[in-house]
Parts: sequence; structure tokens; C-alpha cells
Amino acid sequence: MTENTNIPEPILEVKDLQVEFNTSAGAVKAVRDATFNVYPGQWVAIVGESGSGKSTSAMSVLGLLPGTGHITGGSIKLEGKEISHYTQKQFEAIRGLKMGLVPQDPMSNLNPVYRIDTQIKEALKANNIDITREQRIKIAEGLNMTEAERIAYENVHDDSDELFLGSDKRSALLEAAKKAGEGIISDETFDTWDKEWTAGSVTRWNVRHDMVKAGIDEKKAEEIANEYVTGSSMSDRIAGLLDEAGLPDAAMRARQYPHEYSGGMRQRALIAMGLAARPRLLIADEPTSALDVTVQKRILDHLHTLTDSLGTAVLFITHDLGLAAERAQHIVVMYKGQIVESGPSLEVLQHPQHPYTKRLVAAAPSLASKRLESTKERAEVHSKQQESGHPENISDTVISVKNLVKEFKVPGRRELFKAVDDVSFDVKRGTTLAIVGESGSGKSTVANMVLHLLNPTSGTVTYEGEDIHSFNAKQLLDFRRHVQPVFQNPYGSLDPTYTIYRSIEEPLRIHKIGDQKSREARVRELLDMVEMPQSVMSRYPNELSGGQRQRIAVARAMALNPDVIVADEAVSALDVLVQDQVLHLLNDLQAERGLTYLFITHDLAVVRQIADEVVVMQHGKLVEHATTDEVFNNPQTQYTRDLLDAIPGGKLELGLD
Amino acid sequence: MTNTISALPGQERYVAPIEETPLRAVDAVDTDAPATSMWADAWRTLRKNPLFIIAALVILFIAFVAVFPRVFTNLDPNYCTLDNSRGAATAGHPFGFDLQGCDIYARVIYGTRTSLTVGIATTLIVILLGGIIGAIAGFFGGWIDSILSRIVDIFYAVPLLLGAIVVLQMFRSSTSIWKIILVMAMFGWVSIARIARSSVLEAKNLEFNTASTALGSTPMRNLFRHIIPNALAPVLVVGTTSLASYIVLEATLSFLGLGMPSGNVSWGGDISTAQTMLRTQPMILFYPSAALAITALAFIMLGDAVRDALDPKSRTE
Repeated sequence: MTENTNIPEPILEVKDLQVEFNTSAGAVKAVRDATFNVYPGQWVAIVGESGSGKSTSAMSVLGLLPGTGHITGGSIKLEGKEISHYTQKQFEAIRGLKMGLVPQDPMSNLNPVYRIDTQIKEALKANNIDITREQRIKIAEGLNMTEAERIAYENVHDDSDELFLGSDKRSALLEAAKKAGEGIISDETFDTWDKEWTAGSVTRWNVRHDMVKAGIDEKKAEEIANEYVTGSSMSDRIAGLLDEAGLPDAAMRARQYPHEYSGGMRQRALIAMGLAARPRLLIADEPTSALDVTVQKRILDHLHTLTDSLGTAVLFITHDLGLAAERAQHIVVMYKGQIVESGPSLEVLQHPQHPYTKRLVAAAPSLASKRLESTKERAEVHSKQQESGHPENISDTVISVKNLVKEFKVPGRRELFKAVDDVSFDVKRGTTLAIVGESGSGKSTVANMVLHLLNPTSGTVTYEGEDIHSFNAKQLLDFRRHVQPVFQNPYGSLDPTYTIYRSIEEPLRIHKIGDQKSREARVRELLDMVEMPQSVMSRYPNELSGGQRQRIAVARAMALNPDVIVADEAVSALDVLVQDQVLHLLNDLQAERGLTYLFITHDLAVVRQIADEVVVMQHGKLVEHATTDEVFNNPQTQYTRDLLDAIPGGKLELGLD
Repeated sequence: MTNTISALPGQERYVAPIEETPLRAVDAVDTDAPATSMWADAWRTLRKNPLFIIAALVILFIAFVAVFPRVFTNLDPNYCTLDNSRGAATAGHPFGFDLQGCDIYARVIYGTRTSLTVGIATTLIVILLGGIIGAIAGFFGGWIDSILSRIVDIFYAVPLLLGAIVVLQMFRSSTSIWKIILVMAMFGWVSIARIARSSVLEAKNLEFNTASTALGSTPMRNLFRHIIPNALAPVLVVGTTSLASYIVLEATLSFLGLGMPSGNVSWGGDISTAQTMLRTQPMILFYPSAALAITALAFIMLGDAVRDALDPKSRTE
């Protein structure tokens, strides 16, 4: 082990880092004794649930601790230099230049009143990006050169890896390259050049290298590169950066405003900004958590190639174990401000040793390979019901959706937007049907029509054989008793002015069930059912965590003893462990009570844990409908295959020892 | 253990000692924490705010003076003899006498009732009227909203003071204190209506309304049980802050001779009559002005404290 000759220097060394926040209740330790290293070109992931200190650790490296946060101990070394005591001014000099940031929320990190190119230009100007990297570093380090020194430096220094192709000379370069390569290179190679030699992105060095590789004489290649690759304008460079980040039609897109971008495109713009100054370390704080899985995969794949080619190290913060396992070489698991386990990512996740890591690995939906266990139990309950001659004379289909269409008016456009286009499926009693799709697939619209919160443009939804959209007020009230929703946002679906008791009691009140006393008994019973202490009755939703609120929402949905629960992204906003807990709760309730679930989600990994049947939707259309096993083992459409491929860590064999 | 060889220095496998990192139950409920609602939280914040404590004590005192003026003086504020005109302070008459020979102390004490009645009554009417109209506009939307919003715009376009002067000129003969309250309410409700409309619009789109509907609740039930309680806070904040401005406005109108009918003791009226003696006997002007300033300041402070408590975002720290 000692004979390792060329051990690289770590680019980032964090040792015994301690971070505290001052609150009205005294100092709170957010990070305790965190130690980790990042090497050049490496991807390191910090994994943990919300509040574990993972973002705080990363932000203290950048000198961007929010509010009252401050470093109280330990050291942070960037390229061997201690930076933990730096002032904001010193941080400003190295931020962007030596370390870039890709922030979490692409929606709020772009200024809506400026065009994208203006915002990238600002990032470039802030880092003096119009001069060479070495000069910038010298300036940043306070070694200001005189004008004469600078010119001398420029003359001596080979800056061919910093000189970009300008859009004005691009066609001339291609022409010259074609001429020089006549007879040597194939049309294909030439087409690749045409595609890859983007103005503002490809450098003199790249061009020369490409040509030499294709067989053009070295001298000739250098001559051509020197003649035509002579630097680019600022707008070329901005388009080039966006192009590198994987944005199509970058030059045109750069002139647009953030609201014209989709979430994925905004994240690409932020990646372009984070990498604009070619930092050697990129800190990515949950960069893709707000995006659809397929978009996430595309962006991370691209970021991977990009950082590989630039030699950038990435410190990657995520709550998704599968994602960390797939992308990072080294993984750091944090829990309550402490590092509980770290090491090579595959090894940590395949052989977790700390009980917390074990718990995380066991709960991670993307790593699970089978449906939750109470299925068996549930099947037993189900068969027992049938054996005992339970009155099951009604058809086995509880909810039936036929040729459902929903069109919306789009402001400023004449034709209607088809959010749901001819969707049909049946939900069988006592089973779970999951509707899977990415944002904009129309899955939530279907759920709202099943819940009678929206009227379909055409098509029918039947409950126990009756068309729910033909119900009168009394029938509708009765329908609502039997079909209950659990919504996505645990912060929004409970009224903040209601106590937990009033929230759970509300459906009983609306349907005028029982008196004060029996209602209270029922609320207590429901709290037991969702494993919440009865003492929370007098509390308000803001005192509970997201998972606890979601359990309260489940208790409320269960208050009327419904047959069907429509869960719209019910676990999407929760941490993995909490998500796992709520999924188990839902599954157990189904087993005990023979409930039928319509489960709307974007997360195929969750589907595997809870669903019996899967409906895959894309752009409002149903693209696949099969049992869960069939969908996972033998997907029929390309879209489903893409979705499955995009599950982070889906192909890794992970598990407990 | 073969894998560890490939690990770079500082990246070897590390597992924290379990005793140093004890595991807690997933998502345990903190049963010891005190129960808080938005209102309980607001009350707790208020209780600790010195601004609120001072303002509340001053207001309590002012209210006591307004309700029981006889505790402080047994003189009639309207008993004036020219013999005492511009008389200096004597025993039993701590502030002296004004031009008409009325006891200034008694007039300041009795003026409290007028100011407070006008301020509180106007605020209540404004909150009720503006709140209901704004809530209807925000909740129903569509053409109802369009019509109500245009009406609000029309009233908004009339400057409050100008409108009040014009209307009060028409009712010069009326001797009721209510005419001034109604006039101020008539032009004051629009700002509350706008705020109520926007906060109802916001509360209407929150998910718990959809949740309630899916539970079987009717739209009207949602409005009264969920939307209005959630939209109340900003309306109350503006209401309390504007209370002070109505007290000042009443004084302004009385100063202009349009406010309180004769026979009603009003600080504004007294300030108006005292202004002619500003140079010779400024103290006659000083006492009612000071009373007005203290009262207005106390209500403004209260409004600020309430806003801080109900809307922590507006705090600047």
C-alpha cells in the first residue's frame, strides 16, 4: 500500500469541520466533526435526509452559510490553502473561479427580469473570464501584474486551451479543414466536426487535436487552428457555454427569459454558469431533485462527460442513495450533523455497516426490487374474505375509466390543449393501480377527474358501475364518503389554522357522523391507526414534520372508512426513510382493510413497492398498461424503457449483508 | 478488504462508532414542545415585544380615560366662562383655560372618548365592509370580481380627505358623531377590500380547500371555515395600523371645521381654535396636540407589533 508513487493532492480537504447556527434557543450545532476529501476529477456524494447537515457542509466550503451560520472549528483546505477563515471578500475572489455552484432550485435561482445571456455575462464578468485562467488566478490571489508583465506573460504563455472559436470564422475554419483533409478524412468525420466545433466552446487546442487525430499533418493542423481559432466574442462564449451544458439552439435560447425555459433547461443554464469560469471544483446541491427522472438522467450524464473532459471535481449533495451510488466514486453519509459512514460508494452501499446507512439502504426505493411485504398478508385477507362468503356480489372493478378526455383552454391560443387524451383503465377491488408519468403527462388531471374535482371533456368515470359525473348533490356526497384523496403537498393539504383534531374530525362533521364524543373516540382510533401519538390532537400542522402531516392526511382520508384512496404524489415530498414509513403504512392499511388505491406518482421506484398494476402516461396518452412485474421485466414501449433506465442506481445490485 | 487499497488517502472506509451517533426513531413526534398555532405563536411574540407592551398599556389607559372620564375630572368640559379666558393653571385646573374660558384639562380628558370612538368604530366598519366585499370578489371571481374591483377602483380614485370634505359639506346640519364615522368608512373600506380580495384569492388556491372539497365540503363551507380564517391576518394588520390614521383624520376634519358637531369635545376642534394663540399661549395648543399624538403613536406602535407578530416576513433584522 505504501509503494503508491503518484498519489494526487486532494483539491478539497475538509477536516473536523464544525458549523453552528445561533438561534433564539441558543447555538445549534449543524455540523459536527465532518471530515472528507475530494480529489481532482472525482465525484464525491454527500448523502443524508433533510436536516442532516449535508447542504450546510457544502455551503461552508463556499462561504455561503445562510443567516447566523458560522464555522466554529476545523479546517477547509482548497488546493492546500486554508480557506475556513476567509472573509466574504476573499471568498468572492475564489468563488466561481476555483469553485462553482449549481444550486438546488432552478426556479428561484434565475432572475426573471433578465435574459439568460445577461445573467451568464454577469457570471463571466464577475470572474474576469475575458482573460486567461492563470491570470485570473493570479489576480484572485492578489498578485496583480503590471501591464508590461501581463503582455510578456501573454506572449510566452500558450493559451491555446483558453482561446475559443468565434462564430465569424467558423465557416472559414471548416472550409480550410475540409481542404486540408481532402482525401484523408471521411465525410462522416467532417460532419462530426461541423456538429462539434461550436463557436464559443471549442478551443484552438481542441481543433488542432481533432485534426491531427483525423490524420492531418501536425504542422498544417496547427497552422489552420492558429489562423482561424482566434478567440470569440462574449455572446459566442455564452452560447458555447450553454451548448456545453446541453442546451439545444443555444445561440437563440440565450436571448430568452427564464420563464421561457423548462425546469431542465434552467438547470442547464445554471450548470453553464457554475462552470463558466472553469472551476476545478463544482459543488452541486441537489441539482436535479426538482426535475423529472429522464431529464435528471440526461443532465447528469451530460454533466459527467463535461466534468470529465474538463477535469472538474464534483461535490454532489443528494438525498437519493441510488443516484449517489451510480454517480460518485466516494460517498459520505451524514446523519444529524455527523458523518456516520464514508468510503467507496459501491462498497458502502453494498456492505453498509452503520445502522443508519443500513436503514437508508433498506428504505431506498430505487434500490428495492420487490413489492412491500404486506402484499402476502393482504392476499390472505383477500382470499379469506372470499372463502367466508363475504358479500362480493358486486363486480370486481371498483373504478372504471373509459375514453377519458380533458381539454383546457390555453390563454392566447385558439386550439384547446389536450391534457388527457383517450385514457381507459379499470381499478380492481383491493389492489393498487399506479399511474406513472412525468410532469405534464396528465396523470394528476386523471386523478382529479376520478375524484370529481374536475369534469371531463368527454368519456366517463364509473364508481361501482355508476357514472360519477351524472351524480346529484346527494349521490356525490355519498361518493365522497367512499372515495378519499391524499394529496402531494403535506404542507398545503392541512389547514394551518386547524388543530390536528379538527382536521381529522372535519370529514366526520361534514357527513354529520356521530356526536362530539364518538367523533373524538374515532379521531383517537385513527391516530393509532397511522401510528401517531394521541397527544398531537391539540397541535397544529406547522409543528409536525412533512411525514407526520402526511400521516395525518392519511388518517383524515381514513376517517369515513372509504373503499378507495386516490393518492396524488402522496410520498414524493418526503425523505426516503419517512417515505418508506408512509408507504408501509399505506400498504398495511390496504392489507387490513382491503382498500383500493389509485396511486399517482412520477417515481417508478415507488411503484415497484406498492403497485399491482401500472399505467404509464406520456403527453396525456396512455402508453402502457400492465402488471407491475411485466412493466419492470418486460417493458413494451420505448418510453417505459427510458423511464426505467432513468431510475438512479436501478441497475446496481445493492443490499444488506 | 481488497477495496480499501484503491481508496485514496483520506477516503478510506470509515464507520462512525455507534455510541457517538445514536439512532433515533424515524420521524419521532416531539411530544414535549408546547402547542402552537399561528395565533398562539403571534401572541407569544407579542407578549415579548416591548413595543407591544408599552403600546398596550398606553391604549388601556386611554381606553379607561375614555370610558370613565369622571374618574379624572369632575368638571364639565362645556362649562366655559369668559372670566377665565386664557387663565393660567390653578389648583384643580392643571392645564389652565382656553380662549373661551373652558378648562383645558377637562376638554383633553373628554376629547379622548370622541377620538377613540371615531377610530374604533371606523376601523370596525371598514374591516367588515371592506372584508366582505373583498372576500366576495376574491372568492367568486369572474364578472362579480370585475364589477366589485371597478367599484373599488372608483372609490380609490377619490382622495379620502377631499371626498370627506365634499360629503361632510353636504351634511353640515347633522349633529351626530356618526356622520364623520360613516364618511371616513365610506372612503376607507377600499384599501381593506383590496387586501381582503388578494388574501382570499391566495387562500382559495391552497390545497386544503381542494382536500376539503374532496371530503364533501361545499364551496360556501370552505369559504367560512377555511378561506376566511386563513385570509384574516393581513386584514387585521392593516386594520390596526389604519386605526391611528382615522383618529388623526378625525382631528384633521375637526380642525377644518367639518368634523365634530358643536357640543362634542374633540381634540381636533380644540387644536383648531387654539391655533390663533400659537404665539401668545402655545400651551393651549400643546395639550390637545400632545394627547392626539400620544394616542395616534400608541395605535401605530400596536399596529406595527401586530404586523410583526402575524407576518414575520416583514420584520427587518
